[in-house]
Amino acid sequence: MKKVHLIALLIVLGFGAAKAPVEQRLTGEHRAAFFHGAKLSLDLRQQIGQMAFLAALSGFRSVVADLLFIQAHTAWEHVEWGRVALLLNQVTALEPRNVLYWDTAAWHMAWNASVAARYDKKEPREALRIKREREYFHVGADFAARGIQNNPDRYNLYERLGMIYRDKLGDHCKAADVFERGAHTVKAPDYEKRLAVYELAQCPGREREAYARFRELYESGEHERLPSVIKWLGILQEKLNIPASERLNLPPN
Amino acid sequence: MADSLVPAISIRNLTKVYPIPFKRERVVAVRNLSLHVEPGQVYGLLGPNGSGKSTTMKIILGLVSPTEGTTTIFGRDSSEVESREQVGFLPENPYFYKFLTGEETLFFYGKICGLRGAKLRERTRELLALVGLEGARDRRLGGYSKGMLQRIGLAQALVQEPRLLVLDEPTAGVDPAGSREIRDLILNFKTRGITVMLCSHLLEQVQEICDRIGILHQGKLVREGRLEELISIENQTELILENASPDLLRQIGALVSGSDAKLIAQHQPQRTLERFFLEVTGKEK
Amino acid sequence: MITTPPKHRAFSPWRIHAIASNALLELARLKVFYFLLLFALLIIGSSAFMMEFPFHEQFQVLKDLSLGAMSIFTWLLAVLATAMILPKDIEDRTLYTILAKPVPRVEYLLGKLLGVLWLLLLSTVLMSAMFALALATKEHLVVAQTMREMAHAPQEQLQAALRDVHEHAFTSSLVPGVLSIYLKAAIFASLTLLLSTFATSSIFTIIVSFVIYFIGHVQHIAREEWLGSAHPMAMKKVFLALVALLFPDLQLFNLVDDIVAGNAIQMALFVKTVGLGCAYTFVYAFVAYVIFAYKEL
Ligand SMILES: Nc1ncnc2c1ncn2[C@@H]1O[C@H](COP(=O)(O)OP(=O)(O)OP(=O)(O)O)[C@@H](O)[C@H]1O
Ligand SMILES: [Mg+2]
Repeated sequence: MKKVHLIALLIVLGFGAAKAPVEQRLTGEHRAAFFHGAKLSLDLRQQIGQMAFLAALSGFRSVVADLLFIQAHTAWEHVEWGRVALLLNQVTALEPRNVLYWDTAAWHMAWNASVAARYDKKEPREALRIKREREYFHVGADFAARGIQNNPDRYNLYERLGMIYRDKLGDHCKAADVFERGAHTVKAPDYEKRLAVYELAQCPGREREAYARFRELYESGEHERLPSVIKWLGILQEKLNIPASERLNLPPN
Repeated sequence: MADSLVPAISIRNLTKVYPIPFKRERVVAVRNLSLHVEPGQVYGLLGPNGSGKSTTMKIILGLVSPTEGTTTIFGRDSSEVESREQVGFLPENPYFYKFLTGEETLFFYGKICGLRGAKLRERTRELLALVGLEGARDRRLGGYSKGMLQRIGLAQALVQEPRLLVLDEPTAGVDPAGSREIRDLILNFKTRGITVMLCSHLLEQVQEICDRIGILHQGKLVREGRLEELISIENQTELILENASPDLLRQIGALVSGSDAKLIAQHQPQRTLERFFLEVTGKEK
Repeated sequence: MITTPPKHRAFSPWRIHAIASNALLELARLKVFYFLLLFALLIIGSSAFMMEFPFHEQFQVLKDLSLGAMSIFTWLLAVLATAMILPKDIEDRTLYTILAKPVPRVEYLLGKLLGVLWLLLLSTVLMSAMFALALATKEHLVVAQTMREMAHAPQEQLQAALRDVHEHAFTSSLVPGVLSIYLKAAIFASLTLLLSTFATSSIFTIIVSFVIYFIGHVQHIAREEWLGSAHPMAMKKVFLALVALLFPDLQLFNLVDDIVAGNAIQMALFVKTVGLGCAYTFVYAFVAYVIFAYKEL
């Protein structure tokens, strides 16, 4: 090695020393903005294979995820639910910031796989079939919940999780909480808060809270006075025995 | 101008040692070389293969840095970029960009010398005419013959109108006719006051055009001086007679034997192979 | 006949321009690049016609594949083009004829680098245009399909559905994504140029460049371990520090994955990232110059 090469190396190292803290800070800022959140663990490497893992490491994460997603799609067409779940797990590990993947995974598990388990012709014992169905509800809820952990800023997955509690697991209290959290995200559509309140109304013990929220909605203006809001106000006024003087003067439906 | 006093090339105590990668040995390509080329001269650097001619030239042009000593062009050190303003270089076996035409090649070299616009076009036209490549101006260099490449190389060296030309084997691989043309071009440069340093293995040509020569051997300058001084044999005289009768020759022989002089050889001169070649290929003017 | 030439300028954009456009011309004549480009364009174009998924996913796949193809081909182009450009001039001795002119070495090197960057810009623009076309085609197809399927739905719902489609087609956050692809390629052009100033063969340059690419993508792991943890063994710490100091963190320039997934990057953060990329490009080019300035030709 010549002297000039040594000098060159020193310059590179010197620049390295200057840029390392900058990189460190920038990485932090990127993460705060939800970039580079994928956890490329050794476990994942075993699952997706060496080549795919290398590709994912070197900037082709999303392409690998796409390919796995397409495989999941094929597995779905072949009704191989276990495989669908496994592949979607890998896809979401690669692309944790992709709400679409989490949402699809949750939906497949809670709506499709569960139904398939419930009506599985190979399993004659109904009790077992029902148990399997509920298991898939929970797998779906788990996808949605993990998706929320990675994307707390996006309303879509709160909505999905809320729907699973509401429609599949029949847990209105939890559904109400989840919808409520979704309603507080930046881009949440208006209906999100109504979804929360409808569930609240059906959560035993929280009817009074729900009534207050409905009134708030009602009084916030003409645009919130939807038929279902009015209907629920009527029901709750009865149920809670609100004194006539305090009752709203509701239009008849 | 004081310029005429400054040598075109000045080499002082030049030594170049090349390390051989991964070995402890080193090659001494040039050894304590000193020489000067005066403006207007044609200087021939001679020597067997590997004697350090190309290395010396590359050092003059700043392409290779000297291990010891200095070289200057018109007084400017070769390590300065500005020293290259006044010099044109033709490396040995040059290749240019194959995808450029003759004209584009000269445009390119003109541009990197700072020429542009009408002046660049004018200069290009002039040079193509000078080296006789007008007919090939729009052909790509990939299709040029060796001789044509050498000529475009010369044109390229001249593009910024330098006062000095450094030519590394300008006639290597060129046929005798082409090589004579190049010789004529060099003589033409000389009449225009351009200084030339060249090296060549065609000693006959060197003899025809050089004012001064230096001979390198294993990196050392073994002889240097004006050409006539170096090669004339001062105590011999050559007579060449045409249509001499045997009788006349006998008489001359008798005269010689009666004097102090000694007849060393008597034979019929042969034309040179070069002249013969040019006669048969019909290129003799 | 002999006229005094114009005064020599220490730094001349005109000369650099001449060398850069010549380098571009030289690169543009290599057929391998057309294969690469064609291949990239094919991938981008064909991904517009994957129809078997719901449209959200169609857009997703289209963007991922297109940007992935752009990313890998722009990078490959940068490495291959730069790896050959210096050795070729040295081998053909055209370098002698250029540097024997009053051309500073820094201008020569800069010209070559700019030629490559220019080539990368052209190919990025071309691929982006193809990508935009594919995206527009897809949008058109999806809109037509939506109209067909919702022919009898109320106007309001149809409008909402169409708005949803538009939102998933082109988003302005794709622009910084494409820029980051170019930036990464630019860093690699500069880095490869640096390698080729002391490499003994192009193949060596290319291989080392590839290795740096892979290590660069995991550099952050080493760096975070080095700067983050207090107590690893000295040997290990030195090793981690070396990786962090010598290699660039390429993950920082890897924005497209998350952008396609729906992340937008704030302007300020993007500008900082670009700044770091430019610093890399500049420093590598500078070190390349330092080595080249003392190179025996
Ligand atoms: N880059 C280099 N590295 C190592 N050795 C070199 C290098 N260039 C030249 N040499 C050695 O230096 C010596 C002189 O070489 P140079 O090319 O100057 O000779 P030359 O007189 O031009 O020969 P030729 O007539 O064959 O052109 C040779 O022994 C050569 O092997
Ligand atoms: Mg030689």
